[in-house]
Amino acid sequence: MIEIQSILVRFGGVIALNSVSAQFSKDVSGIIGPNGAGKTTLMNVISGFVSCKSGSVVVDGQNLLNLSPHRRAQWGLRRSFQKEQIADDLSVFENVLVQLDFRMGQTRENALEVEKMLDAVGMSEHANRLGAELSGYERRLTDVARCMVGSPRLIMLDEPAGGLSVDETHQLGNHITNIPQITGGQVLVIDHDVELISDICKETLVLDFGKRIAFGKTAEVLADPKVKSAYLGTEEVSA
Amino acid sequence: MRDMRWINIGLYVVLMVALVLWLGAGKPFKITGMFITSGLAVGSLYALGGIGIIVLYRATGVLNFSGGAAGAAGAMTAWQISEWGWAQPVAWIACLLVSLVTTLIYGRWIASKLAWRETVVKAVATLGFALILLGLVSFIWIDDPRSISLPTDKVGISMLGLRVTGTRLLVVVASVLLVFGIHQFLVRTRIGLQMRALADDRSLSALLGIPILKVETIAWGISGLIAGFTGLMFADLIRLEPVVITFMVIPAIAAAITGKLENLGVVLIGGLSMGVIESMLTLSPTLKGARPIAPFVIAAVVLLWYQRGARLTFNTKD
Amino acid sequence: MRRSLFHVTPSGASGFVFAGVCFLILPSFLGSYWLSVFTSAACFALAAFGVAFMYARLGMVSLAQVGLMGVGGWIHLRLNYLFEWPFEVNLVIAALATMVFGWLLALPALRMRGLYLALVTLMAAGGLEILFATYQFPNGGEGFWGVKTGSFSPFRGPVIAQSAESYLRYVVAVCFLGFLIVEAHRRLAPGRAWAMIRRSEAAAMAVGVNVTLYKTWAFGIAGLLAGIAGGLLAGSLGLLDDGTFRSSESVLLFALAVVGGARFWLGAVITAVLYRILPALLNTWGVDPDIAYMIFGAGLLHAVITAPDGIGGQLYGLAALMRTKFGTRGVK
Repeated sequence: MIEIQSILVRFGGVIALNSVSAQFSKDVSGIIGPNGAGKTTLMNVISGFVSCKSGSVVVDGQNLLNLSPHRRAQWGLRRSFQKEQIADDLSVFENVLVQLDFRMGQTRENALEVEKMLDAVGMSEHANRLGAELSGYERRLTDVARCMVGSPRLIMLDEPAGGLSVDETHQLGNHITNIPQITGGQVLVIDHDVELISDICKETLVLDFGKRIAFGKTAEVLADPKVKSAYLGTEEVSA
Repeated sequence: MRDMRWINIGLYVVLMVALVLWLGAGKPFKITGMFITSGLAVGSLYALGGIGIIVLYRATGVLNFSGGAAGAAGAMTAWQISEWGWAQPVAWIACLLVSLVTTLIYGRWIASKLAWRETVVKAVATLGFALILLGLVSFIWIDDPRSISLPTDKVGISMLGLRVTGTRLLVVVASVLLVFGIHQFLVRTRIGLQMRALADDRSLSALLGIPILKVETIAWGISGLIAGFTGLMFADLIRLEPVVITFMVIPAIAAAITGKLENLGVVLIGGLSMGVIESMLTLSPTLKGARPIAPFVIAAVVLLWYQRGARLTFNTKD
Repeated sequence: MRRSLFHVTPSGASGFVFAGVCFLILPSFLGSYWLSVFTSAACFALAAFGVAFMYARLGMVSLAQVGLMGVGGWIHLRLNYLFEWPFEVNLVIAALATMVFGWLLALPALRMRGLYLALVTLMAAGGLEILFATYQFPNGGEGFWGVKTGSFSPFRGPVIAQSAESYLRYVVAVCFLGFLIVEAHRRLAPGRAWAMIRRSEAAAMAVGVNVTLYKTWAFGIAGLLAGIAGGLLAGSLGLLDDGTFRSSESVLLFALAVVGGARFWLGAVITAVLYRILPALLNTWGVDPDIAYMIFGAGLLHAVITAPDGIGGQLYGLAALMRTKFGTRGVK
């Protein structure tokens, strides 16, 4: 259960998020909205890179805003970035292992868990390759595997399908749908690719100009005329 | 915000007065005054160096370690020319020219190859240039005690019973005028406006069609001239020795730090305060030996002061 | 399936061979002048490795490394004349104290981005230079600063290395250990954390890395190596001169670390050769030492503009090329 209560964020005079509230209860939920709608800002508030004027984020009874960013990660928050963050001079294995390094003295357990998650995304045969040698899709998968280790409670993926082909996006979607049952964590996907969201998310929050304009079951939300005019409408013009 | 600024200024004035009174306690006014004026002169040199660094850093993003070396090259040239018996003004102009040309060579041909690198790398590269210049200058003019003397050394004015030489007066006035002049230049001229735009956002300025190469070259030129002038003054007031002038860039950077690498007015005040405190420490029997440490301690304290309340957060850039 | 902690890379293997040569063969061939030059070079190689790894792994620039060596040397000399403890105890204390000292200097700057750490360390180097020049290094005198003029009291070297020749071996061995400490870090959790921090500080935080802690740790190790190097340098002649620890030397050492190649052990060795052995060679050949400055400067510009991995990187590139050319199995 992710409870976001009236989050308010200002950058100078611009209101980036205007008291946004939502309660995500499904396994995989989505946040969509046109560029500049405040999706990534909301994610940054949740992971602690942007501080908000007021509001709260409570996940499984823990108020996340009281913790520093790395503490949130140790508590069980995972996130990926729009650009995948794979260190070039570490192997795939090490790139995932770094997420577990705060659990000291459990070398064996950590290694086993990394192997399990690499297996889950189909990267186990590449475990010893360096980050620099990977393709864009392989880097994405490594990023997803990293988000899965360490019994996460909340996994946020920021435009996970950016730069991927239709085929790869579809496969990645399957991996994402499997995350909750493998790890027990709740997944939040941010994208402006409506297709991916409608494929894998059961409920969806729609933002526009920092405001919540719709929230509910994905199919219902996408049929909402307000959403169509604000978001899908602009898509058609630009297409 | 405004209140905070006045509190800062008030705090600074109180601290400075307290320091001067404490160090000058029990000494006759004449002595204290003498040390203050000599400190102001040295401080102006720090400030001048700092101003040159900041003008360049704001416009080009390059923190230049080679200004001191360019100044040293200029000062040595001036010495050589007056040694040959040429007219003094020729020597001064040659000093400025040498410093200007060396700085422009670097700015135009070497710095441009590094435009896309991180700030630290750009700074390190200027160090390489400083070493080449220093090696060259020390190679041409082998180590030997030399001195240079400007006609302003002989004139002087008396204020409140203190005699101040013309050169000292000149550097103080020059640094104040320079800050004022550069400020006016940045605010009133087209090139100045473009420089400020570059300092704000480089990629955006390029899109807006600002002639980056031209603006940057002018910034390199200004910093080269300032370096030449500072080098000449340093040679007259303190010492004519290439290594010493080259590494004067370190206290100059300390002065630049007090202005957060952007505010020229604060650099001037910072540089002057460093000079005065350093000079006044001579009066303290216990701290006398370590007095040149003053600029670094002041810069460190100022940095800590700027840092208060700062928290490591991120914009959405990552 | 995972590479073991103790796997040996080709570069590592050549490092073992090189250390072996320096330890076993080199000292026997040197006269007293060159023994002291090589000993000093070995000390600076260790210190250079400290700044180099910090720059290569984290992009952090320290311009106070030689100043920190001075701190290590000062503490070592101070302890030597204060107590009757063996050389090794003094060395360890000096190294640890230097590490703490480095932390204190850098702590305010570690929360800031690249340039400011460089500037803060530069200020520190400037301050240390003046302190050393003012108070000098202990040589057996009275009082806190322990300085007397004229003569100086004898210095206790390590019991197992009393001659200049064996002392060089001793220094080489300690340097080798220092290099291994850094390499071990690189292969364990700190190395992974550093790699993430270098990629992006935000990403590092998102994977649970305590960014400030690990940056501090890296700076601490660099300080530790500087402290060891300073202590060893003090042991070479039994006294230190403040001229060795000017702020310009710290700046120069960093510059040469970039020239040598900050990512490799070989880079640190090249740095030391350029910094200590080349000037000594020029000196014996009767060449103006100012030429060295010009070479350094040109090398630095060359390295920064065209060869980001320095001379070391170019040599490794050459070795890799040879391997593929002559059909030897390319090992990573």
